[in-house]
Amino acid sequence: MTDEALSTLKSLRAPQPSTEARKLALNAAMVAFDAAQAKTKISEEAGFFTRLAQKMRGGWIAAPAGAAALALLLLPVGYQALNSTSMTRLEGPKVGLESKDDTLKEELAKQAGASTITSTTTEAPKPEGEANVSPQAPVVVRGGNEIGRADGTVVLNAPESDQRFVMGAPQDEIAADALAAQPAPSVTAKMRTVAPAAEATLGIASQTAIPLEPTGDEFAKFTENGVKIVSEEPVSTFSIDVDTASYAYVRSVLEDGYLPEPDAVRLEELINYFPYAYQGPDSLEAPFRATMAVIPTPWNNKTELLEIGIKGYVPPAEMRQPLNLTFLIDTSGSMDEPNKLPLLKRSFGLLVDQLQDGDTVSIVAYAGSAGIVLEPTKATDRTKILGALDQLYAGGSTAGAEGIALAYQVAEQTKQDGSVNRVILATDGDFNVGISDPEELKTYIKSKRDSGVFLSVLGFGRGNLDDALMQSLAQIGNGNASYIDDFREAKKVLVEEGGANLVTIAKDVKIQVEFNPAVVSEYRLIGYETRALNREDFNNDTVDAGEIGAGHTVTALYEVTLKGSGGELNDPLRYGPAETVDATSGELGFLKMRYKAPDGDQSKLITAPITSELMLDDISKASADQRFAAAVAAFGQKLKGSNYGEAMSWQQIAELANSSKGTDPEGYRAELVQLINLAGVLSPDPSDGGRSACDDPNGAKTDCPSMME
Amino acid sequence: MSGSLALSEGLVQSDINISRSRDDDLVARAKAGNREAFGLLVEKHYDFIFRTACKWTGKKSDAEDIAQEVCIKLATAIQQFDGRSAFTSWLYRVTLNMVRDMQRSTSRKSKTIDAFTLVHPEDDPGGQEEATTAHEIWERVGALPDKQREAIMLVYAEEMNHAEAAEIMGCKEATVSWHIHEAKKTLRGLL
Repeated sequence: MTDEALSTLKSLRAPQPSTEARKLALNAAMVAFDAAQAKTKISEEAGFFTRLAQKMRGGWIAAPAGAAALALLLLPVGYQALNSTSMTRLEGPKVGLESKDDTLKEELAKQAGASTITSTTTEAPKPEGEANVSPQAPVVVRGGNEIGRADGTVVLNAPESDQRFVMGAPQDEIAADALAAQPAPSVTAKMRTVAPAAEATLGIASQTAIPLEPTGDEFAKFTENGVKIVSEEPVSTFSIDVDTASYAYVRSVLEDGYLPEPDAVRLEELINYFPYAYQGPDSLEAPFRATMAVIPTPWNNKTELLEIGIKGYVPPAEMRQPLNLTFLIDTSGSMDEPNKLPLLKRSFGLLVDQLQDGDTVSIVAYAGSAGIVLEPTKATDRTKILGALDQLYAGGSTAGAEGIALAYQVAEQTKQDGSVNRVILATDGDFNVGISDPEELKTYIKSKRDSGVFLSVLGFGRGNLDDALMQSLAQIGNGNASYIDDFREAKKVLVEEGGANLVTIAKDVKIQVEFNPAVVSEYRLIGYETRALNREDFNNDTVDAGEIGAGHTVTALYEVTLKGSGGELNDPLRYGPAETVDATSGELGFLKMRYKAPDGDQSKLITAPITSELMLDDISKASADQRFAAAVAAFGQKLKGSNYGEAMSWQQIAELANSSKGTDPEGYRAELVQLINLAGVLSPDPSDGGRSACDDPNGAKTDCPSMME
Repeated sequence: MSGSLALSEGLVQSDINISRSRDDDLVARAKAGNREAFGLLVEKHYDFIFRTACKWTGKKSDAEDIAQEVCIKLATAIQQFDGRSAFTSWLYRVTLNMVRDMQRSTSRKSKTIDAFTLVHPEDDPGGQEEATTAHEIWERVGALPDKQREAIMLVYAEEMNHAEAAEIMGCKEATVSWHIHEAKKTLRGLL
């Protein structure tokens, strides 16, 4: 029945477009084309070859596979046509141009009078030879062409006019970005009103992008942590993560009425977005302190939730070290949107207001208006700093930037004993900061980190964000990656958490939990997939890990299955090893944390047993913070279509979150409740008529979109 | 070189292939900056773009706006077409992206007073009932989650097979099948 009903869809027919609209659209297209060509010409005159050659040598971030074919095609034809010179011979093993007879000129003449071309007039002339080359086959470039001009317009002469290219090696990583990355030309001759959003996203429909994702943002793929058997893998090791970018991103997508991609939902970042009132340490001797509790899991009544809450030391105001901040600001054309550069200016204005007299600020712009915008300036001269910020404008191409080296140079100039030195990179995803190879960039940031200048990354806007790169740069630079989607978020990141995000009190913080097989049979770490460490990395001081800032809180959750609870997902082994552990100790496990002082090389160890006294038999006995963290985890799991997130309905999650809001002076937790309700509307529970993801009894589990895509 | 050999072997006469090769020719020239070729290409495909947009939005005026935006976008986006799929498949995706962009933009949401303009062939007095049904089904499908709606539209309205739909959607064939399966589950109670 459904099938039959659906097949009536195919009989729906679109009406004829009005000739008026058609004409307007075609005119607009030609204007846009001319604008694009003019731009190409300008960039060619500005040393297009040189830049392309540099890119080819250095490799390029996220080049669409096969873009080399494009580049090579464009070079000879586009460039030379405009210069009216003869084409040089071009040979390459991977990219090909096929020349064959054609009758373009004749055809053009035929079309000249007609304003409307129907498909019959564009019927193919029978070519002498029709190339049918398999996409993988290496094809040879055959040139030797001459280009002529007619009536000021470039027309390619037969027989060279048919420049067909065949994609050679799909793995080819060189890019034609110089052309392809040109921002869409602003078309002034537009006849019909159009939606602004449509324009904002022009030009991202490349073949390699997944076109139906709501944006062009890139996220690192990861597989959710699975259940581990304690007797096989008793030790779990990970690096802490105080980033919150994922939550801000998820919020912005949900508020636009979309469900985020599963990989965009990083559970630990959702949980750590919220402030928790854990008790902090009393002195810098132990720079952070862990608070633990074991509560019943809200989505599984057979398991327990081990919550480890860590809070960093807050140094008293008089101990505050002077800040030496260098803003490295992306001023490429794409930043020219209300939620990008203008928001960035206001955000940094907020930050500047927080500074104290001994602090120093410098501003370096890259891309577009590149160079030092503000020489190191004392925070006492606020007017000058704010004035310089105000003068930033977005425009121009993304080329010609030496941004990052300049920023570090400025930061090092102003570095003094005891100062906190940090470069703050603000961008919408254009990491063309002067070092185009991501690996080289990472190495560079790492070497600067070791010399005492850290890096934080602030992401703005949506549609172009390379989330994975943003995360890894901040991680390497001992900083955080935050995503700023509105002014409120700017206030949270730069004002309320300003101290934590700027002043590191401990670095390379690693957590290792050893579970007691006599008490716990299975465990699962919730989130931290992208922060997993090997067991042996824990004691290896050369392995980098996350940082904790002043007053930061970090929360890690484990879902644990106690022995004999009946909640095990794995059957016991028939030939399992004999019990050798002293079951009487009653401890669930043992927590170990390693950290280094911000300027130290040697790690220190903090340990605490996870005793059975921490266990609460009812979730209502847990603190609001603990219950709220559980609600956030449940929300994130359900949102990303996790295998563990289906048991609770959106409403149950919302109730749990709502009941554990606590005082919530800033309203962050109330906002989560709203987001949960929003997600419930977008992806209704089966009981509300929605789909039930991944729980298909026919074994459709492997077809889950979260796993397939 | 084997170039000439490939040429003679490749004399494929089917209309589809010729039409595809025509597109490839025009695309290559347009990319190289040939104004006429670009003009031809856009003219040739305008109706296709419009029809696609209309099927997805159900409204003529929206479809015309979208078609114009796509035409403008092609001026730059054409450089990104790399010939790995047929030009029309690529164009379908570009159009679909634009439909999504349009529908996402908030200023658009209020502008829904327009009448549904898709017509059913049996839109004569006698076939009115069926037309209404098709309209209703279209609306139900429109209310599905994005991916499910896309899968259903491509497979049922555009009569593509799952592999073709997967190419347009940029996912695996099995994923398309899964979306269809899920969509049908949702629709079962409604149709």
